[in-house]
Amino acid sequence: MRTKHGVLFAIFGLVVGSGAAFAHHSFSTEYDGSKTFNIKGTVSKVEWTNPHARFYVDTTDESGKTVTWNMELASPSALARNGWTSRTLKVGDQVTVTGYAAKVAPYRGDARSVITADGRSLFGGASDDGRPEGGQPQ
Amino acid sequence: MTAVPRAVSLSDNPEVIVRQLFGKSQIPNPKLQIPIATVCVLGLGVWILGFGIFLHAQEGRGSLGTIGALGQEVKRPPARNEPAPRLPDGTVSLDGLWVGGGPVGDIAQGLPKGEKLPLKPEAVKLLEYRAQHETDDPHLWCMPMGVPRSTPYPFRFVQDITGSAASPHLFIIHEGNIHSYRQIFMDGRKHPAELDPTWFGHSIGRWENKDTLVIDTVGFNDKFWFDRKGTPHSEQLHTIERWTRPTMGTLVNTVTIEDPMYFTKPFTASFTARLQAPGDEIMEYICQENNQYGTAGGHDNPFFGK
Repeated sequence: MRTKHGVLFAIFGLVVGSGAAFAHHSFSTEYDGSKTFNIKGTVSKVEWTNPHARFYVDTTDESGKTVTWNMELASPSALARNGWTSRTLKVGDQVTVTGYAAKVAPYRGDARSVITADGRSLFGGASDDGRPEGGQPQ
Repeated sequence: MTAVPRAVSLSDNPEVIVRQLFGKSQIPNPKLQIPIATVCVLGLGVWILGFGIFLHAQEGRGSLGTIGALGQEVKRPPARNEPAPRLPDGTVSLDGLWVGGGPVGDIAQGLPKGEKLPLKPEAVKLLEYRAQHETDDPHLWCMPMGVPRSTPYPFRFVQDITGSAASPHLFIIHEGNIHSYRQIFMDGRKHPAELDPTWFGHSIGRWENKDTLVIDTVGFNDKFWFDRKGTPHSEQLHTIERWTRPTMGTLVNTVTIEDPMYFTKPFTASFTARLQAPGDEIMEYICQENNQYGTAGGHDNPFFGK
């Protein structure tokens, strides 16, 4: 517990001290920082588009029904500056995605961590200020 | 490449540490909410930050990504503190790819310490309204950011490389939100007596002592917000930006803002831009391409169909 508090202290201090980093959109108006998700599925579409890149993941919900999640990433230019390309994620990739769920719309998420079946670990860096751990790639 | 979290040393570069720490951080547990008293303690800042990093470094796990994940580490070059470059005629060169130089969250953050915005009651009222309607910010809907607001995306000054300070045009090219430009007339012309209002206004510029680019702009529309907070302006807005480059890696924009509609007197705020890594270039950013903002949060586009 003490360690976790230490982490939270540090995160808070960084966010405040750095004057916050930012992107095109406001995290807090779109996503719920306390509503996390972790899903496994197959990438069915990739949109290397502005203002945010997106990818879509086909998976099954609790009832076994097939659903498609719409995952938000950072902007293509922000991602590219951090090593991504439009080919980093491909249709058919098996992925595990962790992030924050939309406040209102179902099956929409701010993707933070993407782990592919072949072992690649990707940081989505979507949206911007106000997300619980702050920070926006540039 | 492995997806298994592994122990690493936190970087000496604070901005790299940010990403490492954030990327490794836990999804917040509701049971770990920070009480108000604790938040007060957070004001101790540096000590706590260092302590937190130390503690976190001892923790070898994370659930929002692993150390080393592609895109996780912020790669920023060290500060460039050598003298700024000069054009052949001695004028300071503003060339380079820059980020910053204007307000984002709150323009008041650029005021001298202890000063407050000289808001008229009309401005206070509009700010209060916008605080309840933050998704009305035109910036969120792919509208231009106006002046002097900045974005997290780079911009570039395009000067006359022949060194003629009397060259007719100077441009500022913006990558982000939205892919746009500002045109500054450098040939000594005056503002037209009557202007049609625009997002970036009508700008005339001049050099002072070959060190300071002064940009005087009028003719703005009243649509953009100075910042996310919604600090307002009217079509009477007049901005005077003074751009200097004190070091190779730093650009400073000291901007004086006059708008008798919303402010009791002119005020001056200052913002710093940071030189980006060598080799970085403006990239395409067509904001309208696939803007799904609003859907996840259930917000309507205030600029569409009304």
